[in-house]
Amino acid sequence: MFDYPIFEMPLLGHRFLFAFDAILHVFISHGAAVGGSIILMLSQWLAIRNNDRKLDELSYKILFTFFILATAVGALTGIGIWIHINIINPAAIGALLRVFFWKWFIEWIVFNVEMIFLLWWFLSWKSAPLGTPAKAKNFKLGMTYAIASWFTMAIITAILGFMMTPGNWLKSYFPAEPDYLAALFNPSWIPSLGFRTFWSIAWASAMAMLLSWLFTRNDTELRQKAMRLYGTVLLACIPLFCLFGAWYYDQFPQAAKDLFWMGAITRRLAAHPEYATYLMVGLSSMVLAGAVSLYAKPKRTPLVMAVIMLFGSMGLIGEFERVREFVRKPYIIYDYMYANGVRVADVPYLNKDGYLKHAAFVPPEFRSVTPDNKLMAGKYLYQMQCRYCHTVNGINAIRTRIQGMDEQSIFIRIGALNSPATPFMPPFTGTEEERHALAAYLDYIRVNKVESEDDLVKSSAPVYAH
Amino acid sequence: MKFNIIPGDIPLPLPTGGLEFMEPVFHALLVVSWVIHILFINVLLGASFASVYFNKRGVNEKNPVFDKVAYLLTTPVTISENMGALWGVAPLLLVSILITPLFYSASIMNSPHWLHIIYGNIVAFLLSYLYKYTWHTLHARKSLHILIGTIAVAMFFTLPLAFMSTVQLAMTPSTWTYHTHFWDILLRSDTFFRLVHFYLASFAVTGVFMLVYGMYKRRSDDPEIVEAGKVLTRTGKSWFLVPTVINLFIGPLVLFSFPDYGIEAFFNHGFHWLIVLTVLVVVYAGYQLLKDFFNDDLPASKVWSVVAVMFIAVVSMATLRHGMRMGLISPVLAASKAKTEAFQKESLLAFEAAQKAQSEAPVVTQPAGMALAEKHGCLACHNAEVKVVGPAYKDVAQKHYSATQIVQLVHQPKPENWPGYMPMPPMPQVPPADIAQIADWINSLK
Repeated sequence: MFDYPIFEMPLLGHRFLFAFDAILHVFISHGAAVGGSIILMLSQWLAIRNNDRKLDELSYKILFTFFILATAVGALTGIGIWIHINIINPAAIGALLRVFFWKWFIEWIVFNVEMIFLLWWFLSWKSAPLGTPAKAKNFKLGMTYAIASWFTMAIITAILGFMMTPGNWLKSYFPAEPDYLAALFNPSWIPSLGFRTFWSIAWASAMAMLLSWLFTRNDTELRQKAMRLYGTVLLACIPLFCLFGAWYYDQFPQAAKDLFWMGAITRRLAAHPEYATYLMVGLSSMVLAGAVSLYAKPKRTPLVMAVIMLFGSMGLIGEFERVREFVRKPYIIYDYMYANGVRVADVPYLNKDGYLKHAAFVPPEFRSVTPDNKLMAGKYLYQMQCRYCHTVNGINAIRTRIQGMDEQSIFIRIGALNSPATPFMPPFTGTEEERHALAAYLDYIRVNKVESEDDLVKSSAPVYAH
Repeated sequence: MKFNIIPGDIPLPLPTGGLEFMEPVFHALLVVSWVIHILFINVLLGASFASVYFNKRGVNEKNPVFDKVAYLLTTPVTISENMGALWGVAPLLLVSILITPLFYSASIMNSPHWLHIIYGNIVAFLLSYLYKYTWHTLHARKSLHILIGTIAVAMFFTLPLAFMSTVQLAMTPSTWTYHTHFWDILLRSDTFFRLVHFYLASFAVTGVFMLVYGMYKRRSDDPEIVEAGKVLTRTGKSWFLVPTVINLFIGPLVLFSFPDYGIEAFFNHGFHWLIVLTVLVVVYAGYQLLKDFFNDDLPASKVWSVVAVMFIAVVSMATLRHGMRMGLISPVLAASKAKTEAFQKESLLAFEAAQKAQSEAPVVTQPAGMALAEKHGCLACHNAEVKVVGPAYKDVAQKHYSATQIVQLVHQPKPENWPGYMPMPPMPQVPPADIAQIADWINSLK
């Protein structure tokens, strides 16, 4: 976006950088915190009811693992999502924060409750042995933690839902005036919350089954009990999240539904939507095979089945998040802002007046295109409009996308980016000269494997010094 | 003051709910939440350092009391690392709406190094857990244990480098250039002196914390813990006094390394009186502790009076820091807001003009196949007459494909038919009936 400096992430690209942090966060926040708190609360309750010391000890060991993961990795990668989006798409997070400030603030207060009760629950577990009144109090700490962590997810899910299905949230475009309640109660909030809730519990159960296997090497009786308990929870959750998932899918805009199969695999394989089906069936069978065999034959199923189940679940979760991110394209906030941070309503003005002219962090001599600064201007345009999804040489490389084209055909192609041929791409924004400059730069990097500063700035353009 | 770079603002209203007094409330919340965050981070740095220090000292002097002190200190480390991260969120939230363009711009200029506050933190966090939870298992292998602790502490101490350079850059927009980068800022005198001041303050704050923590431990029934509490009290006094005295000299260096117009605004708004207040209360606290310097059984009333006085000092410093920050960035914020409003005004005109033009556009009659080709995006790459990305439809017509063949080729293109061209992406979403009409149009182009 033109209002901010340019951050480059060569080879990996912004999408990968962001996805790495975000998916790590989802694995841990959904598993170790939201779902984990619920299932551990359940097993602690059973341990208290049956005065079952072994189950109590096993639950503590699982909690210990979840505690380390949730506090060291889950919480920090959660803040990390924010830090990443700050530098990757400030215009989008800035808009989201203004619309969702109070919800986020409340979420932060609940996050306090969540963190304090997690620390308290975990640190006081050992000093509250079974059969003492302190144990009942300790259980209540866990319950508070579980409710709080679910609540934080509920709010964040509202924001994610808003990005895809904002509903009637804008009372006016100029000046932009949000309807805060409509933004919160956007159409996909409740279904996606139900969907996430149940797969979080299922995913946490899968993690707990793997951990139980490891922690019960010398006690197969306990293993059987744990597998039956967590296995039942896992299997019971599957129909529930499928149901909510279908309702959630139903809320997608039609254009997003059309992108579903492409999002589920890669664009290269778009001609074979059946591959996406194979992939999802494969991952689901990994989960089911592991879960069912651990449930049915807990004493004889080897560790590898639990590992297969875990990888299957991670694959499905990653797949879901990828599809959700992909089908929202070309927008980052549906119908309001394109993935590259340009507000939809500002496009006519930028096309008329020029994009670079408003770019605060582009040196002034590149803000209007001349024959001399064309390549450098084009490079700035590439960096501000394309690098959200593309890299030059690495993941989703722009260079391979333009092989076999020449400057003229690149120019024509970027005039129709947001067409049904590539409906997930935002349109090029800028004047005719700027489009020529971008085409010239892209053609330059198509021909030249290495970018040279000398070529780009040419002799007559002043090299900027500070 | 002239600024080279004025970033744009977010064209959405501040979430004040239309209440004018909310903006000052946001500022107050920012000062309070930020200072709580910093206090936790101070204790995190100081206590994690102290734990490793006493661990090593326990080994060197074969004194189990020091080992006990070191172990006791891991609890405040766990709590302050979690609460420190948590209380970093509120200021982040407030900064993101109050000084949006400056903060975002600074974090981008400092990236990817800015990401160290996440990834470096995760590594440090995991190592500090490893240090804490292997205390008894690694009892016989102390050098390994101390090594783990040392790496964790070293990692924690690198985080303020990324953090300080970003907040410092955000509050000095007059220094921005088109090429400003992390190392430029880190090695600047203002960032350097602030870092020194911050690290020293971390030890001083931890010193005050030790006074309180030691006081509670001295009340224990276990004589070893009482002894540990005395060590904490003794250490707390010197950890508070020494860095605080040095900081009285570093403070002016920090103040006068800011840009002139900021210092001017600072004095014009009378924030220097807060410096006077801070120095007075700090000197008072130091005097109280010096009087009892050799008394390890520091009475509770004295501990709490030092805490109360230092609380005033901390709030006063947080306020004057906010004063400096706003003095430095207010002109840029105002310019940014004005710039964005002007942009929006122009954008509205262009938006309305575009809508009008669209509704008044003359209806062009074109062949049905051509209309469908446009609708489905074929014309993004193909033109009837000339080669664009794909071959001209006139050339396609030369191949005399049947409509059925064209349906197949659209759904599953065969790049080998057109060597030298960019392979066409499959377009399975286009309905066969539509393709048949497009095919008719293509074949009519001979």
